[in-house]
Amino acid sequence: MAVSKEDKYPIARRYQIADIQVSREATAVKPNVVANLIKKAKRPVLVTGGKLLREEKLVEVAEKFYSKGIPIIATGGSSRVLIEKGIKPQSSVFTLHYVTQFMLDEDWKGFDGKGPYDVVIFLGFLPYYLSRMLSALKHFSKMTTISIDEFYQPHAKFSFTNLTANKELYYRMLDEVVNGI
Amino acid sequence: MAFELKEGLFVVDELKNVSIKIGKVIEEEEEWTEPMGPTPKPDILALRKWDMKLLERYEPFYAPVQDFCNLCTMGPCDLSMNKRGACGIDLKTAKARLVTIACCIGAASHGGHARHMIDHLIKEFGEDFPIDLGGDVNIEAPIIRTVIGIRPKTLGDLREAMEWAERELMRVLHATHIGNEESLLDYESKAMHVSMVDHVVMEIADIAQIVAYNMPKAEPDTPLVDTGFGVIDKNKPVIVVVGHNVLYSKPVLDYLEEMGRLEDFEIAGLCCTTHDMARVGGKGSSKIFGPISYQLRVIRSGLPDVMVSDEQCIRADLLEACKAMGIPLIATSDAAVRGLPDVSEWPVEKIVDALVSGKLPGVFLPDPEKVGQVAPLVAEGVFKKHGGERKYRFFATDEDLWNEINKCTQCMNCVFTCPHNLRIDQGMEHAQKTKDLSKLAKLEEQCIACMKCEQACPKSIKIINVIMASNFERLYNKTGKTRVGRGPVQDTEIRNVGQPIVMGQIPGVIAAVGCINFPDEMKSLREIIEEFIKRRYIVVTSGCHAMDLGMIKDEDGQTVFEKYPGNFDAGCITNMGSCVANSHIAGAAIKIANIFAMRPLRGNYAEIADYVLNRVGAVGFSWGPYSHKAAAIATGFNRLGVPVVVGPHGTKYRRAYIGKYYKPEKWWVYDIKTRKKMNIEPAPDSLLIAVETKEEAIVQLARLCIRPNDTSLGRQIKLTHYLELSQKYLGTLPDDWPIYVRSEADLPLRMKEELMHILESEHGWKIDWDKKKIVEGPIRPFDAGFNPTLVEEVYEKYAGEKPPQ
Repeated sequence: MAVSKEDKYPIARRYQIADIQVSREATAVKPNVVANLIKKAKRPVLVTGGKLLREEKLVEVAEKFYSKGIPIIATGGSSRVLIEKGIKPQSSVFTLHYVTQFMLDEDWKGFDGKGPYDVVIFLGFLPYYLSRMLSALKHFSKMTTISIDEFYQPHAKFSFTNLTANKELYYRMLDEVVNGI
Repeated sequence: MAFELKEGLFVVDELKNVSIKIGKVIEEEEEWTEPMGPTPKPDILALRKWDMKLLERYEPFYAPVQDFCNLCTMGPCDLSMNKRGACGIDLKTAKARLVTIACCIGAASHGGHARHMIDHLIKEFGEDFPIDLGGDVNIEAPIIRTVIGIRPKTLGDLREAMEWAERELMRVLHATHIGNEESLLDYESKAMHVSMVDHVVMEIADIAQIVAYNMPKAEPDTPLVDTGFGVIDKNKPVIVVVGHNVLYSKPVLDYLEEMGRLEDFEIAGLCCTTHDMARVGGKGSSKIFGPISYQLRVIRSGLPDVMVSDEQCIRADLLEACKAMGIPLIATSDAAVRGLPDVSEWPVEKIVDALVSGKLPGVFLPDPEKVGQVAPLVAEGVFKKHGGERKYRFFATDEDLWNEINKCTQCMNCVFTCPHNLRIDQGMEHAQKTKDLSKLAKLEEQCIACMKCEQACPKSIKIINVIMASNFERLYNKTGKTRVGRGPVQDTEIRNVGQPIVMGQIPGVIAAVGCINFPDEMKSLREIIEEFIKRRYIVVTSGCHAMDLGMIKDEDGQTVFEKYPGNFDAGCITNMGSCVANSHIAGAAIKIANIFAMRPLRGNYAEIADYVLNRVGAVGFSWGPYSHKAAAIATGFNRLGVPVVVGPHGTKYRRAYIGKYYKPEKWWVYDIKTRKKMNIEPAPDSLLIAVETKEEAIVQLARLCIRPNDTSLGRQIKLTHYLELSQKYLGTLPDDWPIYVRSEADLPLRMKEELMHILESEHGWKIDWDKKKIVEGPIRPFDAGFNPTLVEEVYEKYAGEKPPQ
């Protein structure tokens, strides 16, 4: 079920009160904005993290991304649960740290060799770990980064707001993203 | 010619107004026939060329925590998007500078410890006190030999290495001042330099304490020491030591032993001091409370009757925490005086009275011998006051606990300040609704008790106490065994395993070291480590990782130290000791190059590091690093050619070294046998990399053990483990396995045909199916005589000609 207009979105509260930078903070976006960003992207990719091993819903969401033609880079061991669903990730063994280093390289053609990714969506990460990688991508690349985790990620270009107090709303927002692409 | 001069004035007949200065007196003729290498006592630039080779391959990666700089008065400066500040530094270079500073702090911590140790021990035992590490250790100081170019034979000899270290530390720290380096690579080179200094000073500190305090000397079968909260006999006065410098707390053992009263007290500790207390005399006379994250657990449990603190990694609010529980504190190190009065000149009775009566909450007592007398007397005095009735349940009553829990409004301020973002709100809410504490209890397994949550809580809930009380029974009954730190690896052990490591038949050496900022429950560390012990890797450990492993039992009630032998051998786990004992892990890698391959060590760092990088499949692992020392230790290993895998919090060090497998031009060596410069597989493809989960950690550790020089059998064994672990934990073959295949002989036997089909169908390799041979596809063919090096001088030395272009 889509998020209705009556739903009140919580404020964008940083996952960590002290993770402060002087540069821009992520625009907190609603699901339809995320879906539109992905639809307009030339080379979108979903990067999944270790939380998929513990949260079935995230696997289901990744599965829907994949079914809509969005390739997946699986990190943190998330490939195991994705492969069980019949998904073939573009990469399984490289950690998010590796993947971010590769993404910072303008010459990198992606895991499929078809050229650099332009929009990267992140799902299922430890928030403090993802934050550092988003910071690297913010400062040293032109890539559009979107976090759709339940913690608001200030260093992404776009992020879901803080949804930690309302799992149901979070799941509905994830559904709306995948339904909108 | 050997001669000896005593200190004093000399009168030389017939000479007037002549000053004679005697420098270092060589007491006996030099018998070390090994020629001096190119870089004895290397200065800040001597190994820059080697560093640049590494940094060309393993490109620095920066993940800024702050994008501004406020280190000078021209700032603060916005460096975001790699802008330059008022001084001209850009964001990446500013981060490289910050990492260099962190490594300086780490090296200075171990260095301060080492300097203090040798000065004290030389005063106590004399500068001629011999360095004797037992009959099985002839290469007594592999790092010092390799870096400094000397063989220390006495405590006094260690000063030469110490003086070099202090000078180089000063030089690197100088370079971090505003207006110095412009290149991030030069900062990285300096970070590597000062981290090599760190390895030298760790070796100095540990050698000195081993020989002077009669700690175990490379003994695999050291005693098992009781570990965990549950090992404390609460009916005795409890003395708790915390920190990293055993110099101050060892006299407690000496005094009680002298008085014949060791059995009347419980002596337990936190962090590395407790490892070293257990090593003193090789007896395991003291117990291990737990890692550094147990500080608040221990203090708020009310168990200690006196705390003795020294230095490094100790909470900066230790005095406040002790005061709140009425526990007297004896601070001993000049690095952590804690605002306390210096009572060195006071008589023992006066100090004891001030602490037992509560007139003073703590004292600064930098006199080790006096600490030895004061601490037991204070513990006894405090114990008599409470008579063994300690307030050790975190809350006086269950009602108090529930009152705290019921205050929670789920505002989540705690969650957004917790380093792990632990869902304290959910634990509280669940308890409020169901009276079930299990969700809160589960948090105890991961909480590092940093106390930030309590400060963030608008209701002033004692969150740490709630979490600890919720898991009270489990925490309080936690018992285990840690093998006492053994110190160095024997030369004979290296002789046994050197060849199989270099050839690859022993698939790797995994060194689990460092702090406790784990992303997961503590038991995850054992799951990771045991996977490798069972697969017959060599596993070594030290510091907080070792004592954590000493608390995690399997279903049979055994820790890994009880279950597996303590040898430096396949399928074993050996505890080296405290932080400074990490030097013996680097030392073991160096010894392999020397003992097995006869590579000369003396002032020959680049050749040895090049050897290790290309041949020794050792990988460092720190599941929860947090200290500056850990940054220096890791970076020192990196310069030595050893990759390090860190847990996800390790990304907050801001810098990693990550290679790009898809850039073949980065992956080359000179082959001394064929006299060619040739492309190789990217092995290892990173020097410092973070992982998010235990599954990912296991696979990366196996992956990074692969080395270019593996024999076919060795590569086959390494690939077998890598592929099996990837299938087990990632659900598939790893993406990059074909790049490690040089011939069909490298392929795991069980999967050989299947893998050859995949190479043919998915990767376009040509296979001769009649001969079952790979005809075309690998980056390079396997050559049994392959003799790789990245260092031109090493090539020239062994090939007798200039390297090919």
